[in-house]
Amino acid sequence: MTAQDITKLIVRTSMKDREAFDLLYRATSAKLFGVCLRVLKDRAEAEEALQEVFVKIWTKADRFAVSELSPISWLVAVARNHAIDRVRLKRHKTTDIDEAYDVADTAPTPEAAAMAGGERDRVFTCLDELESDRAAAVRGAYLDGESYLDLAERFKVPLNTMRTWLRRSLMKLRDCLER
Amino acid sequence: MSDAGTQDREPEGDDIVAAEYVLGLQTAEERTAAQRRIDASREFAARVDRWEAHFAPLAASFEEVEPPAGVKQRIDRALFTSAASNAKERPGIWSSLAVWRTLAIGALAALVAFVALPQLQPSPQQEGHRMVASLSAEGSDVHFMAMVDHDTNSISLSHVSGQRAAGRDFELWMIEGQNPPVSLGVIPQGETFRMQMPAPLAEHVNRGNVFAISLEPTGGSPTGQPTGPVVAAGGLTEI
Repeated sequence: MTAQDITKLIVRTSMKDREAFDLLYRATSAKLFGVCLRVLKDRAEAEEALQEVFVKIWTKADRFAVSELSPISWLVAVARNHAIDRVRLKRHKTTDIDEAYDVADTAPTPEAAAMAGGERDRVFTCLDELESDRAAAVRGAYLDGESYLDLAERFKVPLNTMRTWLRRSLMKLRDCLER
Repeated sequence: MSDAGTQDREPEGDDIVAAEYVLGLQTAEERTAAQRRIDASREFAARVDRWEAHFAPLAASFEEVEPPAGVKQRIDRALFTSAASNAKERPGIWSSLAVWRTLAIGALAALVAFVALPQLQPSPQQEGHRMVASLSAEGSDVHFMAMVDHDTNSISLSHVSGQRAAGRDFELWMIEGQNPPVSLGVIPQGETFRMQMPAPLAEHVNRGNVFAISLEPTGGSPTGQPTGPVVAAGGLTEI
């Protein structure tokens, strides 16, 4: 399914077209479930999150029209943000982030590298310009929903140090991305 | 975008906050604050979008995993059962005006569909001041389209989806800025209908104001203020 097909489905969904919503679910639920699983590290939680994500997509599909994102990026953003919100709200209970790391390799997969051609791989180039542990922290935040606090624990540095590291890294990244 | 030389401290800080939000580095409270800003400020929302776009290639690393079949069934049940049971889940929506405003602003597609609805198509001689709103809300399947015609002081409503609970009525409200909602009346049954506005009230129906629909006892709110859950809302846009 092309980006244009998905765009059409999102627009039709915003007009409360249930058939389009069903097709959109069929085309994108595996990817969005993958997002929820990776961030939440728990199947039952991820299922609940996915359910809420699609309820959001149904009710907020009209917002896609004002976003500058590609359709799949918009959907991933909705799912990621929702999953991260869930994690943050129950943050005090989670401890097993390290365990999840065994299955969640933060390096881009070969597939990712292959898919991202030209302008699109810019973020990879720019991440490579950062010190490796900072790049790993950025990836950990994006892919695994790690907060400043989680990252400070993982890298065994004080919270404020992590904050300073990452803010500087983000400024560097922006300069590189918008160069 | 990044007019790097002229950027002062403040916007740069905003940009980093936007990036922190996108990466998910913040606490729950900070995220809530950032989400409010996304709803309230186009500029901040654009910064967030820009970072989302920058990081989007990383999303290729999310593996596809087929969800179990039960998930879709639960989604359909949550979305397509009666409006009343769903609306109860969101009692706090009255407090988030900013959310409402943005709900309908991007509804370009819905707007096109609305204008195309034959029963609501403006006749040629009515070349006056007209506004539309797409009314919906998260967690509710109630969806109305509204068109305001200032020449005739009327509101045309088209009922797109969602049912009233038994023994309840939908009531239409207008919200101007921080003022309390003003009732525009109980919405009659039917797919489309026209409501007349008193002239003094009609003057206040302007772009940026919000229309909201609440579920009320039959005959409308007994207090003059909404008492039931908001099942749909949206901001007015000029056409």
